[in-house]
Amino acid sequence: MNMKFVIDKQSQEELNLPGKFRQGSVYNLFNTVKTRGGEQLLDELFKNPLTDESSINDRTAIFRFFQEARLSFPFDVQQYTLMREFCDAGNGSGLPATYFNTILKKSLSVITRDERYKAIIQGLQATIVTLKKCYGFVITLHSMGGPFAARVNTIRKILDSPELQELLNIDIYRSISLGSIARYDHLLRNRQNQNINEIIRFIAEADVYMAVGNVAASAGFTYAKALPRSANCFRAIDLRHPCINNAVGNDIDMKDGSNMIFLTGANMAGKSTWMKSIGIGMYLAHIGFPVAAKQMEFSIREGIYSSINVADNIGLGYSHFYAEVVRVKNAADATATGKHLLLMFDELFKGTNVKDAYDGTLAVTEAFAEYKNCLFIVSTHIIEVGEVLKKLNNVQLTYMPTIMKGATPQYTYKLERGITEDRQGMLIIRNEGILELIKN
Amino acid sequence: MLLHTDEQTIEDLRLFSKRDQPGIYDIYNNTSTRGGEAVLEQMFRHPLADRDAIVRRARILGAFAASGAKFPFHAGMLDTVEKYMSQTNDNTDGHKPVMGEKEISNGVSGVITLMHSVKSFVEDGEIRKIPELSAERKEIMALLSDPAFTPVFNEKPDSKLSFGAVTAYDLLFRNRERAKLKQILNFIYDMDVYMSVALVASQRKFVFPLAHPKRTGILKLEGVYHPELKKPVPNSLTMDHRKTVVFLTGANMAGKSTFLRSFSTALYIAHMGFPVAARSMEFSVMEGLFTTINLPDNLGIGASHFYAEVLRVKKMATELSMGRSLFVLFDELFRGTNVKDAHEGTVAITHAFAERKDSMFIISSHIVEAGDALRQKPNIGFHFLPTRMKVTTPEYTYTLEEGITDDRHGMIIIRNEGILETLKNGKKS
Repeated sequence: MNMKFVIDKQSQEELNLPGKFRQGSVYNLFNTVKTRGGEQLLDELFKNPLTDESSINDRTAIFRFFQEARLSFPFDVQQYTLMREFCDAGNGSGLPATYFNTILKKSLSVITRDERYKAIIQGLQATIVTLKKCYGFVITLHSMGGPFAARVNTIRKILDSPELQELLNIDIYRSISLGSIARYDHLLRNRQNQNINEIIRFIAEADVYMAVGNVAASAGFTYAKALPRSANCFRAIDLRHPCINNAVGNDIDMKDGSNMIFLTGANMAGKSTWMKSIGIGMYLAHIGFPVAAKQMEFSIREGIYSSINVADNIGLGYSHFYAEVVRVKNAADATATGKHLLLMFDELFKGTNVKDAYDGTLAVTEAFAEYKNCLFIVSTHIIEVGEVLKKLNNVQLTYMPTIMKGATPQYTYKLERGITEDRQGMLIIRNEGILELIKN
Repeated sequence: MLLHTDEQTIEDLRLFSKRDQPGIYDIYNNTSTRGGEAVLEQMFRHPLADRDAIVRRARILGAFAASGAKFPFHAGMLDTVEKYMSQTNDNTDGHKPVMGEKEISNGVSGVITLMHSVKSFVEDGEIRKIPELSAERKEIMALLSDPAFTPVFNEKPDSKLSFGAVTAYDLLFRNRERAKLKQILNFIYDMDVYMSVALVASQRKFVFPLAHPKRTGILKLEGVYHPELKKPVPNSLTMDHRKTVVFLTGANMAGKSTFLRSFSTALYIAHMGFPVAARSMEFSVMEGLFTTINLPDNLGIGASHFYAEVLRVKKMATELSMGRSLFVLFDELFRGTNVKDAHEGTVAITHAFAERKDSMFIISSHIVEAGDALRQKPNIGFHFLPTRMKVTTPEYTYTLEEGITDDRHGMIIIRNEGILETLKNGKKS
C-alpha cells in the first residue's frame, strides 16, 4: 500500500514535530542517536509516517524488542564514522588500478607528506574494528530471536562470507603488506561495497532502535496498536504531551458513531496542550514510535490536519481571520475527498469577533460532523456553541475545568464530561478591582 | 511635562517602522542630519502634555512652514563634523580608534565652515522672524561671540589651514570648547527637525491643531485620515463633555481599526505640536493617551488573551484613578472570551468609563446588544462604519455614521469560500 500520509507544514509546526534546531520539538526528544547515520535514518523514519497497520505493528515490535533487550550500543562512534567515510567514497576502479594507486599514494606520503595513504590505513583499520564488533553484536542478537531476527540473519550471512571472514581475522596491530592493503581497499570499496553499505545501514538502524527504545524506557512510553482504518477508532489511556515534564494525562475514546470531540474550557485550562498531545500521539503512532500513554490503539489515518494557535504570530485583524478561513477551507477540501483524517481545530475563528466566531464555529462544526470516517476535535472558549451541538449524537462534550480558589483560578488539566460552566470573565474583572479603580 | 503613554500605544499606532512596514515617523522624517533624526525620534517617543510647550512648537513649525525656509547647512559637511566631533581626542587608553591627520583636518575645516554658516543663519536667517526662537538665537549668538572663537571668524571658510593651525583648532574644538560646540550642533539638529517637519507639513497639506487648555473637554476632528494611505477616506468626529465615550461598531473590514488609528494618531501627533493629517482639528490637552488595538497574546507564557485584555483595562483604570485626564481607546474589547462574558464585561467597563467626565474613551465592539444597556448613559455616543451588501459581496463606504450596526460578514466570507458546500457535497462514508 503506497498511500502517502498527509500532514502539512503548518500542522507539523503547530505540533512542534520536526526540527533538530527547535527547542522542545518532538524530534529532539527522540534524537538521542549516537551516529550521523543514525540521525539520517531517524530523520527518514520521522518524516515518513506509515499508512498500513502491519508495517506499523512490525516496527513497534522491533522498537519494543530493543527496549526490552536493554542492549548498549557496542560500536565506537568515531571508528564507525571513519568507516562510513571510507566506504562511502566508493572506488570504481579495478584491482590493478587500486594496486597502482595505493603504491602511488604510499610513495607520495613519503616524498610530500601526502595524507591520503594514512587515510586509507585508518579507514581500513576502522572498518575492520567495526566489522568485528558488528559480528559479535549479530551473534548476540541472533541468540535472542525476536522480530528483528530476519534482518539479523541477512547481516550475518554477509559477514559469514569468506572474503569478509578473512578481514575479520586480521590483527590491526600487525603490519599489513602493501598488496593486502590494496586488495582490501578494492574489496571494501568496490567488490563488496553494496554489502558493506548494508552493514553500515544496519548499524544505523541498531542505533535508532536503541535510542528510541531507551527514550521509551526512561520516559515510560508505550507502543500503540494499529488497527485497520475502517474501524475508525482512537482509544488511549493517560495520554500526555511527551515533551512536558510531569504532564497530566487524560483518556480518550473515539469510535464509530462518536467521532467528534467538542472541547471547552477557559483559556489557560490546557485545551491546546491536550489537542497537541492527541496530535503528537497520533503522529508518533503512525511512524511506529512509542507514545506518551499508558495504552493506546488507533485506526490508521491518511492524514492529520491541525489548526492550533494560528493567531499567535499573526496579529493582523482581518487578514488573520481570512487566514483561518483559508485553513478551514483546505481542511474541508481534504475531508471532502473521503479520506480518513484526524482534524483538530483549536479556538476556531479566534481572529474575529465573538459573534462571527460563534456562527462560524457552529456552522463549520456541524458540517464536519457529517463525516463519520474522520476523527474531529474542536475546541473553543465560546461555550454557547456547545449547547447547540448537544443535539448531534456523534459529538462528545468534554471540558478542561477551572477551580476558583478564592480569587485565583486553578487548573486541574483533567478532562471532564460536559460543557464548562466556568465563566470567570466577570469574576476576573471584579477580582482585579478594575471597576472600583475607574470610579474612584 | 510629558504625555503619559506606553510602548503598546506606540506599537498600535505604528509610529516607527517595523520590518517592511513604514511608520508614521518615516512620514515626518525628512531630516538632513543624524542628530536631527534622533531629536525627532525623541519627540515622537515623548509627546508633550503642556499646552504652552505644544503651542510654542506648533508656532515655530508654522512660521517655518509659512516662510518655506530650507535647511541652510550642507548635509555632507555636517556629516563630517558629526563624525569628527563624536571622537574625543583625549585618547590615552589607546583602545579607541584614532583619527587620521586627514580626517582631523577635514573635521576642523568643517567646523570652521559650519560656524560661519551658523553665524550668518542666526544673524540674518529666517529664524529672526520667529519670536519663539529668539532666546535660542540669542544664546547661540552669545556663544559665537565668545572670545575663544574669535580666531575662527578671522579665518575664511573653506580656506586651507597649516598643520599647526589644525592642531590648535583641534584642541580648541574637541577639548576646550567641546561643550559649546555640542550646543551649537544641538541647535542645528533642532533647526533641522523644525524645518524638515515644516516642509513635510506644507507638502502634505497637514494642518496645525488648535490646542485648548486641559480639562476643557474639546476633541474635534474634521476630515481626519490616515497619512499612510494612498486614497484615504476622511472622517469627522467630535467629542465633548456631552459625549465622552464613543461606542463604535462595524464589520471586520469596514475600516474600524484604520479609523481608530487615524483618529488617535492625529491626537498623538497633535500633542507633539506637529501638524496632523486632517482638515481641521481642535483638542483639549490630555495628560495621557493609551490605545489597545493589537494586543499581543503571550500564549507562550501561558497568559490568555482575555487575561491580557483584563490587565490592559486595569492599567487604564490605575491611570484614571490617579486623577489624570486620558484619551483611551480599545479596539474589540474582550474578544478573548465567550459571548456572555464579553457582553457583561463590555457593559460594565464602558459604564464605568462614562463616569469619568475629564477623560475621553472610544471603544469598538461587535457586541451590538451592549448598546441597549449603554444608551442609559447620556454621554455615550454611538457610531458605526457601514457595510453595503451588493448581492453577496460586501462593500464599504469607510464613512462614519451615527448609530449602531450589527453588520457582520464573517459568515459571508465563510460562505463565499464555499466551505460549507464543499463539506455538504463531499464523499461521506
